[in-house]
Amino acid sequence: MKSFSSMHPITQAVWFILTALCVMFSMNPIIAVVSFTGAFVLYIFRNGAKGLKTHLWFFAMWIGIVIINPLISHNGATVFLVINKQPITMESAVYGAVSGTVILSVLYLFRTFSQIMTSDRLMYLCGKLSPKLSLVMSMALRYTALFTQQTRKVQQYQKATGLYKEDNIIDTIRGGVRIFSIMLTWALEHGITTADSMTARGYGTGKRTQYAVYRFSSADTVMLILSVLFGAVTFTAQISGKMNMEFYPKLSLTEITPHGITGYISYGILVILPIVSEITENIKWKYYLSNI
Amino acid sequence: MEILSVEHLNFRYPKSKTNALNEISFKLEQGDFAVLCGATGSGKSTLLRMLKKEISPLGEKSGEISFCGISLEKLANRQSATEIGFVMQRPEQQIVTDKVWHELAFGLENLGLSHETISCRVAEIACYFGIEKWFDREVAELSGGQKQILSLASVMVMNPKMLILDEPTAQLDPITASDFMNTLYRLNQDFSLTILLSEHRLEDALPHADKLLVMENGRLTADGEPHKVIAEMRDNAELICGMPSASRIYLELGAKGECPLSVREGKRFIQQYKNEIRQTEIKEYTHSKNKALEMKDVYFRYERNLPDILSGLDLTVYEKEFFCILGGNGSGKTTTLSVASGIKKALSGKIEIFGKNIRSYKNQSLYRECVALLPQDVQMLFLCNTVREELEDAQCSAETLPFDLSALMEQHPYDLSGGEQQLLALAKVLAQKPKLLLLDEPVKALDSASKRRLAEVLLKLRDSGVTIVAVTHDVEFASEYADRCAMFFRGKIVSQGEPKQFFSENSFYTTAVSRMTREMYSNAVTVSDAVKLCRINGLKGTENDT
Repeated sequence: MKSFSSMHPITQAVWFILTALCVMFSMNPIIAVVSFTGAFVLYIFRNGAKGLKTHLWFFAMWIGIVIINPLISHNGATVFLVINKQPITMESAVYGAVSGTVILSVLYLFRTFSQIMTSDRLMYLCGKLSPKLSLVMSMALRYTALFTQQTRKVQQYQKATGLYKEDNIIDTIRGGVRIFSIMLTWALEHGITTADSMTARGYGTGKRTQYAVYRFSSADTVMLILSVLFGAVTFTAQISGKMNMEFYPKLSLTEITPHGITGYISYGILVILPIVSEITENIKWKYYLSNI
Repeated sequence: MEILSVEHLNFRYPKSKTNALNEISFKLEQGDFAVLCGATGSGKSTLLRMLKKEISPLGEKSGEISFCGISLEKLANRQSATEIGFVMQRPEQQIVTDKVWHELAFGLENLGLSHETISCRVAEIACYFGIEKWFDREVAELSGGQKQILSLASVMVMNPKMLILDEPTAQLDPITASDFMNTLYRLNQDFSLTILLSEHRLEDALPHADKLLVMENGRLTADGEPHKVIAEMRDNAELICGMPSASRIYLELGAKGECPLSVREGKRFIQQYKNEIRQTEIKEYTHSKNKALEMKDVYFRYERNLPDILSGLDLTVYEKEFFCILGGNGSGKTTTLSVASGIKKALSGKIEIFGKNIRSYKNQSLYRECVALLPQDVQMLFLCNTVREELEDAQCSAETLPFDLSALMEQHPYDLSGGEQQLLALAKVLAQKPKLLLLDEPVKALDSASKRRLAEVLLKLRDSGVTIVAVTHDVEFASEYADRCAMFFRGKIVSQGEPKQFFSENSFYTTAVSRMTREMYSNAVTVSDAVKLCRINGLKGTENDT
């Protein structure tokens, strides 16, 4: 068994896409809360309590949305108070709270996504579409790193060789132009050598294959099947309108039917899958250690 | 079995009046380790590129090159790509992808091999070259030596029968370079891989070689067993100065018998002399009283939670001195120059330049008629299309320079040789009339003739009153030209002194001559020291003629 973080990129991508789609296309408080809890716990589980400041910012944003939405949208039947002849309604505040939660949970999902999907995993996914595209991306990444490094160096050395005359804006701009010009020549020269190195190693002699360090294991199969299954159940429940929520003019959740309940439960399972996978791995490891 | 044969090869670049290659003929047997040497511009790179058809330059060609009995033109693309490997000078530029594992797989992906084959071959090669530890890393994080090993490994993964290398160690420091040479030698021995290598630094390469090819002005002037080829080189000073120290001593003495190549052979050679007199007189060196650069208890680090790069550095350089800083990679040499030139600010400590605190130089005045820093990669300074424009840009008049650039005026800076680029960069910097010149690895990647030319220019500058601080890996260069040397280790200076005393006290970080002669002579560090002492002592069994 592998933990979710070390699974095959395709498995991970499928899970992220399904989870995010389900929450983004439903304005349902239960789905939103479940999704947020799942995304938040997964993030905390991987990162610990670090970065309190960012969490605070996220929650401040949520509160902001809850406050701002009723100020802008005045739909709804239950009026709290009237400011400047404009009614402030409860429905609008609830709508703000739900959409804020949806946004927050998507944000947390993407934070985890960007940590797990490192550049080479993303590249691998691209390579499934086209091996050429993935090579171009890989080269671009390498080149960007090199280009930034070189630009920084050039800037410093231009200064140290006395080529700036004074500390003023015009000179700084002129310096910028010089650096750009230097970098242009450098990039062209560099490109030629890289191209030589590519042809020397048989680039363009035939059809390329894509090599990757990832293996598709049984854990991936299990995870993939579960994700697709529960994702699909949630989707059908959503499409058939069993999980709809009306906000205006009055709050009303569609009558809860067995089909709707299956939808909620399967979404809950979908969200919790990676956490379960990580926790089992952790427990296994602890157990293994205690046996040494 | 013959693997490569070149017959009557002529080549001329388009628009050029003269041939870059003239009537070149030679053969390589399978398993040969051949070294190609010659001055910059003698056509080494052109010849090597002609042997790999994918990157052969365009131009007029005549003659025949065949690989394993098949003419190079008729060789299938796929066979040519896999069986002839080519490694270039700058590791930075020949690496294509961003991850180490992807770079290793690149060539195999191009051949369209299956995933299983690729993973097996990549694993094998990573093991052989010791890449496992940094297999997952990004290329940008690797050191220069690791990058060059990666370039070699990603060529070797295609199982070439012949490996061509164009100055592969030029960008590496001596210890890494010697490791790289040993790796090549191991490949040659383990797999009977045919290797053809062009190189300036022959000290490490030649002892392994079966064959030495010498090129001069586009002609192959010698081809044979290294001992013999060098022994016949007597009258060619330009070529001789690039040979290993042991061979140079042998040649300068005009000795007979087998020409020594390695330190071991050199030591045996010197033991043939009587060696009763152990040292020559040392010229007293007195430095000026005024300090040009003084660093006291300087600390520096790049980020808060990274270790100190400079930790309590004390360094004093006096006016009109040629000071060399030596030391391993990552010991903080380059950082010292950045801090001394003010492009990086020291965390704590005092830096004085000509008796004045570096902070009191305001509004870039530090860089006007005071300090100049020349980077390791001088191409960073070039931005025009010709040397002339380049000099005009720096407001530098060619007549006032202590060296002559007039022959190069209309060329593109990138087309100049390494040594010429170094001089052009120096010219641009000298336009600001600096009194303190900081140089970062000025002789890296230069052939020995250009090294000597640059050193002469630097000595001339010193005599005209410029203080020079150079960071270098090149112990031979420092021992020959510096007034004082310092050894850097873990962010500070651990020893310093005049070259003769400094290098004869060191036992590992020292010149080849010093290692060769340490038991016989007490202060011989350069070839001329050793030659002088051998002459004074005379061969065993002869009368002293002094």
